[in-house]
Amino acid sequence: MSKFAVEGVKILDFAWVGVGPITTKYLADNGAEVIRVESSTRLDVLRIAPPWKDARPGINSSQFFASYNSSKKGITLDLSKPAARDLVKRLVPWADVVVESFTPKAMRNWGLDYEHLRELRPDLIMLSTCMQGQTGPNALYPGFGQLMAALSGFYYISGYDEDSPCPPYGAYSDFVAPRFSASALLAALDYRRRTGSGQYIDMSQYEASLHNLAPALIDYLATGRVLWPRGNASDRYAPHGAYRCADEDGHERWIAIAVRDDAEWRAMRSVLGIGGDDARFASMKQRHNAAAELDSLVNSFTRGFNAYDLTAKLQGAGVAAYPVQNCVDLHQDENLEAFGFWHWLDHKEMGTCVYEGLEHRMSRTPGTLRSAAPVLGQHNEEIFGGMLGLSAAEIEKLKKENVII
Amino acid sequence: MPSELLKGFRMLDLADEKGALAGKMFADMGAEVIKIEPPRGCASRTIPPFLEDLPGPDRGLYAIAYHAGKKSITANLESPDARQLVADLAATADFMVESFALGYLDSIGLGYEALAKRNPRLVHTSITPFGDSGPARSYKWADIITWAAGGMMYMMGEHGKPPIQMSLPQAGLHAGAEAAVSSLLAHHARERDGLGQHVIVNMQACIVWTLMNEQAMPILHGDHIKRTGVFTGSEDARRQMVYKCKDGHISTLIAGGAIGGASTKALVMWMKEKGFAADWMVEKDWASWVPGMFMKLTDRDRFEISDLEDRIGKFFLAMTKKEVYEGTLKRRILLAPVATVADIAADEQLSAREYFVEIDHDTLGRRLKMPGAFAKLSRTPVGPFARAPKVGEHNQEIYGGSLGLSGSKIAELRATGAI
Repeated sequence: MSKFAVEGVKILDFAWVGVGPITTKYLADNGAEVIRVESSTRLDVLRIAPPWKDARPGINSSQFFASYNSSKKGITLDLSKPAARDLVKRLVPWADVVVESFTPKAMRNWGLDYEHLRELRPDLIMLSTCMQGQTGPNALYPGFGQLMAALSGFYYISGYDEDSPCPPYGAYSDFVAPRFSASALLAALDYRRRTGSGQYIDMSQYEASLHNLAPALIDYLATGRVLWPRGNASDRYAPHGAYRCADEDGHERWIAIAVRDDAEWRAMRSVLGIGGDDARFASMKQRHNAAAELDSLVNSFTRGFNAYDLTAKLQGAGVAAYPVQNCVDLHQDENLEAFGFWHWLDHKEMGTCVYEGLEHRMSRTPGTLRSAAPVLGQHNEEIFGGMLGLSAAEIEKLKKENVII
Repeated sequence: MPSELLKGFRMLDLADEKGALAGKMFADMGAEVIKIEPPRGCASRTIPPFLEDLPGPDRGLYAIAYHAGKKSITANLESPDARQLVADLAATADFMVESFALGYLDSIGLGYEALAKRNPRLVHTSITPFGDSGPARSYKWADIITWAAGGMMYMMGEHGKPPIQMSLPQAGLHAGAEAAVSSLLAHHARERDGLGQHVIVNMQACIVWTLMNEQAMPILHGDHIKRTGVFTGSEDARRQMVYKCKDGHISTLIAGGAIGGASTKALVMWMKEKGFAADWMVEKDWASWVPGMFMKLTDRDRFEISDLEDRIGKFFLAMTKKEVYEGTLKRRILLAPVATVADIAADEQLSAREYFVEIDHDTLGRRLKMPGAFAKLSRTPVGPFARAPKVGEHNQEIYGGSLGLSGSKIAELRATGAI
């Protein structure tokens, strides 16, 4: 019986930043052997981004990089040098999968595109992921997920109205696209298992992410209606939104509540002590029509409650509610704890840090964060020496020539 | 002909809005996805808005988008006859994805343990709002609840106003896509040793994962991000992410160093052409400009960031989103329009790649354009795409054809309300 779901799959991973590394992490945490090819001449930008262990910057102490590169090995090559590309070509026959996330021209210019690499490994699966895809007028668009989240419509639908945009935190689309690219990659591996044929996957972060906006796109393309930002307004629930609770240690606290029918509204009134049966809010339709008044009424009552206590009371009465949690709260959340979400890994230079675990759990072959992320070039000797059979002197020479760097 | 990618595999899809996207992705990849819904239709068919605001089981835009390409059969799970049919189908299936309240399927004899006895190869994926063991495992759910519980809501909004969600709820979509990935991982294990398994998807964890590792900031830096409207970053080093322009907003990443030095320099040179740049900006070595990096800023850093943001704001104000985007594409500046669905629909890159596909919806008497392939595969393209099914559209094909029930048996099941 296999211990891990994709044990035995081998991936040569040139990807950097978010989408590519998160895609290969799905496989690495589930048993695949993933070798990340990096370069100290062109660092993965996450290596120079916070958070850092003890808030001290260093290329081997970014927990941001470490988080997306668990369970992987790392080697370093300056791909602008022919000798480095020769080493890549010696590694490709080993690989079931090559992944890269440069702007489209890079691998082509190095002669490391799919057409060349498949000559070395005919059943190779190669996944290229970039912002806007390998073809088209904007294929070379440079960028990060923050910008892609704006371009693919998520920023616009985040706000109280059109004049007050409130974008989601971070590089939102970097966390939409990998679930699509990992699915495509796993399916392509299965197709190869069945048929023996590899293939090339052209993944556009933009095109994958737009699936999370599909209903609004279909609506516009059919009727011309543009989905607009509308705070927490809902056509399905009333009340619906975040309501202010009692402050805690000088910090404001909020609770999210969604009421789906009149019975839940009555239950909520009873929990909050909203007396009488205010005729303005009796039916769902009335509550929708007077949403602003309703919100201010609810706020005036939630203000007296502790957010966690109120959650227990509302849920006990059958009303959907949960505190609006910040990142400190997440680490104390009993549900994430019970799921075993948090992992503590011992990293070669950072020591022990906390990491997010997997968002799913398999009963028989559960994945896990098998090891901390590599420090830059941590596995150079193991891969170039052990796997390719280079002598210590040859490796030393390649280091001196800044090929292994 | 379906895509060859997952051709020949069958998925039973009993997921509502907590995971309909899983089945949609499988259908795109060529699997036969059978949506099993109550005789009156899955609750997700009632999610507004509706096409042309006319309610109906085939008109909900959520259902049109996320049940596309599936087959539909009906089964009233309160009826023992219908339960038996679902159990019989599960014996023919490779995958099952569902999002019922914990314990419900067990209570009607359709839990993983029971189904695996007949079909040990089954990969059964359960989508749960909070996992299967914590105190909230049976909590009532709505998408906004996960957005709050997972930490994204806290960081969206303006100080002094409530935290917000997106105007198209996202948590169920993340969980659905996670169900697709994890089902495929379990599939690989099964293809090696012949045994399926039970997969639990945790929707709360799916949202925590979207936070770009912000979870580690309190522990490593003793700081955490609060909602600050168009700004991001910690209090001492916040950056403006969104700027107003003539017809909306744009977003740009003002950074120096390896990440943004070249881009910021190009932006400053463009501003200089139009008389918007200050002298210090033109002379600045942006490649080595890394003020603070979430650490303490100097007064000079504060001045530079504020002067830059101020002038950038004025510069963009006179241009449309399109003009700004075109100008930045040419100059390789890290920038994007805050696009509406109208902007996206008109985007030349998407049209050059033939992204949108037009699908005949005979159920609606019209054709609809929809997002197409989520990836372009050279040998086994994703698609072709098909419309969402009508409620029970494939009862005859599946109950008759696949399970071999006679016409009169099907009529009887229909009469008793089982299907």
